Amino acid sequence: MKVTIDNLSKKFGDVIGVENLTLHIEDGEFVAFLGPSGCGKTTTLLTLAGIYKPTDGVIRFGERVVNTVQPKDRNIGMVFQSYALYPHMTVFQNIAYPLKLKKVSKADQHDRVRQVANVMGIGELLDRRPGQLSGGQQQRVALGRALVKEPDVLLFDEPLSNLDARLRLTMRGEIKHLQKDLGITSIYVTHDQVEAMTMADRIAVMSGGHLQAFDSPDELYDRPKTQFVAGFVGNPPMNFVDVSVQASNGRFFAETESLRLEVQAARGAPPASYDGPVVMGIRPEDIQIASNGSVSGEIFVVEPLGREDLIDVRVGRHSFLLLADTEDRHQAGERVSLAFDMEQAQFFDPKTEKSLLWQ
Amino acid sequence: MKARDAVFDTLKVKVDERPQSLPQDLVEALRLGAISILVLLIAAFLFSGVIGPLFALGGVEETVMDVLTRLSLLALPFVAYIGGASVARRYTRSDIARALGLAFSSTVILFAVISAGYYVLDYGVFAPRQSLQMTLSQSEAGIRVDAVVAGGAAETAGLQVGDVISAIRRDAVDLDAFNRRLSQSKEGDPLRLRFKRGEEELQETVRVVLVSDKQLGALWPGLALALAFTAIIVFLPGHWAPYIALVGLLSPLIVGYFWVIIATFSFRTEGLVPLDGNDNFGGFTLKNWESIFVGNIAGLEFNIVPIFMTSLAIAVVMTFVVLLVSSMAGYALSRMHFPGRRFFLSFTLILHGFPAITLLIPIFIVLLRLGNIPVIGELIGFNTVGGIALVMVAFQLPLGVWLMKGFFDNIPWDMERSALIDGASRWRTYWEILLPQIRPGLLALGIFAFIGGWNAYIIPATYSIGTGVSNLPVFLNELIDETAPVDWNQVAAVGLFQLIPIFIFFIFAQEYLLNIYAGGTKGSS
Ligand SMILES: Nc1ncnc2c1ncn2[C@@H]1O[C@H](COP(=O)(O)OP(=O)(O)OP(=O)(O)O)[C@@H](O)[C@H]1O
Ligand SMILES: [Mg+2]
Repeated sequence: MKVTIDNLSKKFGDVIGVENLTLHIEDGEFVAFLGPSGCGKTTTLLTLAGIYKPTDGVIRFGERVVNTVQPKDRNIGMVFQSYALYPHMTVFQNIAYPLKLKKVSKADQHDRVRQVANVMGIGELLDRRPGQLSGGQQQRVALGRALVKEPDVLLFDEPLSNLDARLRLTMRGEIKHLQKDLGITSIYVTHDQVEAMTMADRIAVMSGGHLQAFDSPDELYDRPKTQFVAGFVGNPPMNFVDVSVQASNGRFFAETESLRLEVQAARGAPPASYDGPVVMGIRPEDIQIASNGSVSGEIFVVEPLGREDLIDVRVGRHSFLLLADTEDRHQAGERVSLAFDMEQAQFFDPKTEKSLLWQ
Repeated sequence: MKARDAVFDTLKVKVDERPQSLPQDLVEALRLGAISILVLLIAAFLFSGVIGPLFALGGVEETVMDVLTRLSLLALPFVAYIGGASVARRYTRSDIARALGLAFSSTVILFAVISAGYYVLDYGVFAPRQSLQMTLSQSEAGIRVDAVVAGGAAETAGLQVGDVISAIRRDAVDLDAFNRRLSQSKEGDPLRLRFKRGEEELQETVRVVLVSDKQLGALWPGLALALAFTAIIVFLPGHWAPYIALVGLLSPLIVGYFWVIIATFSFRTEGLVPLDGNDNFGGFTLKNWESIFVGNIAGLEFNIVPIFMTSLAIAVVMTFVVLLVSSMAGYALSRMHFPGRRFFLSFTLILHGFPAITLLIPIFIVLLRLGNIPVIGELIGFNTVGGIALVMVAFQLPLGVWLMKGFFDNIPWDMERSALIDGASRWRTYWEILLPQIRPGLLALGIFAFIGGWNAYIIPATYSIGTGVSNLPVFLNELIDETAPVDWNQVAAVGLFQLIPIFIFFIFAQEYLLNIYAGGTKGSS
């Protein structure tokens, strides 16, 4: 089912939940809503579900306008962060509840619940109550309950955030796999960008109730259209420096009092023609500690991440985060020289925070 | 040292509980005992010397402080023994002889110290006692004077050896009664004794004096008590302590219930002892219960069935309506926005605090007017069960609505949203998803409402004047008012009869409650 959102706004009195959101989601697509806490992800999802009435705008499921359609008539499935299982019902009754409400016959209910439970790997737990399940098992029950009525649209509100890191990894794969198998249009709210990057076909990045970008993960990562997107997508986050880009003899240099880095023409020309200093962004993975680096600095902090160390290097009054192999055993206070991969550098307008490279 | 630790580990004795040398233990026990003594002395001083005078300054009577002071002093030795014995308790599992030895020696030492204190301060067993300064013994004829102290109170008043005392004023006494009377009197109180000297009937007034004889022999019962107490403390399983405290605190209530039950089955009671017509133990009878069903108590004729049914009707209607209205109103207040919501919330709270008594007359007028409306008047007007139930419900609702709102507030929004998305209507969500979550609350409120309705007195008594509509509490009051002399055993039987449905209710409700907690409404979320 195609989901079309046009100019959607939802206000709670003076508080803006989400404003002027336009999104066109294709049939069978897996879309992630990504954004910091309080940016309106849940609000949007609940408005889609029919729990909130939109203040403004139009929501269509397929061709049908659903603005005033009751939640029960929308044929959606939803998985909540808290799972929201019914504690007084057994797992079987929980999963069967949507079917019971659809007046599916007892025998059919039985078959379909069994089938879903087996897919979710909770076939042995049907007689238990939610209170007797682990977090991961509850999660599966919630997913089963959302799937059992074969919804047109699946909504997920941070479904994995209560699980431990390992389980999150497995469930991520399973949900993605199921969604592809069933081909159900899915909207997945998260503030974990790794989740969004790995699972979604397209990501809607939101901030402060507004849509910042709506694009494929690679596109967002490689060609961020705003400074917010560039900073939000990617972990550890992108480094930002105020530079002025100068052209001399057809070569371009990004300069500060302590830095001078050459930029390729394709990337250097737009910021060079900008009047005044610009914001340069460079990802930690695009900076290397190298003996022949062009910039020298001093290591300020080393944070071990396991396979890699996250290193904060001070260059003049700038600070760069970068990643280095743990084997190299860098120490705080050590002087190092840095090599920048300027082919990956991004440039932003400091006033509008829009990218100077991609429109 | 290492090896020793290992051995104790295998013996499952905590390393810090490994035996110290006996003197070390004893010192520790005595230190604890001494600290207990000090703490209680300070408490007693605070009560009598600081807080009491402060209260008195404010013009408040200080009897409470007086009682607290005396309680602290009374508890002092026992707390000290507990302090000492607590050290011994670590050995009860491993070495009983050692535990007892340690506990007893600390108790004996503490006892000696405390007794010495009493001796010096003229307190406790060494406190001056009321006395007439003569030695008495019980004989066939009466209380015989065996000896008098030369120059003492008795001799001064003119009593002689060989006199036989028969009465104080006009009350005939034996030796026990005499001693009781003596111990209740104060210094200087005159006791007029009747006695026989030979055939002569005489009377003399003897004034009570305080004598402190300080006989060390008086210590032995105290020591025995102290040792017995210590032994109990040493062997008392630790987890019994809360139960003992609980039973102690509840004892007035428990004794009360005992009395009611015994009284209903006996002719007469003296304290908790059932007596027959001749004041002998016995006199068990079913007469008290029988007359409830026969319908005649001391000439007051009645039929218990309609009275019972009225009580039941008020309680059931009240439970049902209160639960229905409170839960729905609570839901609306918890989940919906509507104009006047905040006002409604604060207003019901004020209503709840409003003293019901002051509204009796206005409500009376309202009910009278309601009674004039055809049909409805028959149902909820003045002098109807419906009217009474309506008023009772109204008084119970503010509490019920707030309680239910609180319970609904605790159900996560997501659960309700989830049900709506699963395809339930709002009504169905309420019945099938939300109400089951607040079952404990419904049950609690239901019990409140039922008991409130069942035991209702003021409102039924006020709004059913001079008619057959009376419930059990009103009837009970009538029974006390209109029979003379009041047969309290009969009243107790009616009271216990009134309790029966509550007992039954609780037996079922308790099982249900347990189910709820075992099944767990607490699960996810
Ligand atoms: N029922 C409500 N009444 C008033 N304001 C609300 C309501 N629900 C959400 N808001 C406000 O709307 C904004 C968006 O909230 P929303 O719950 O959609 O954020 P979110 O992106 O889901 O955040 P999170 O990642 O923390 O869940 C917030 O400022 C929030 O305070
Ligand atoms: Mg949210």
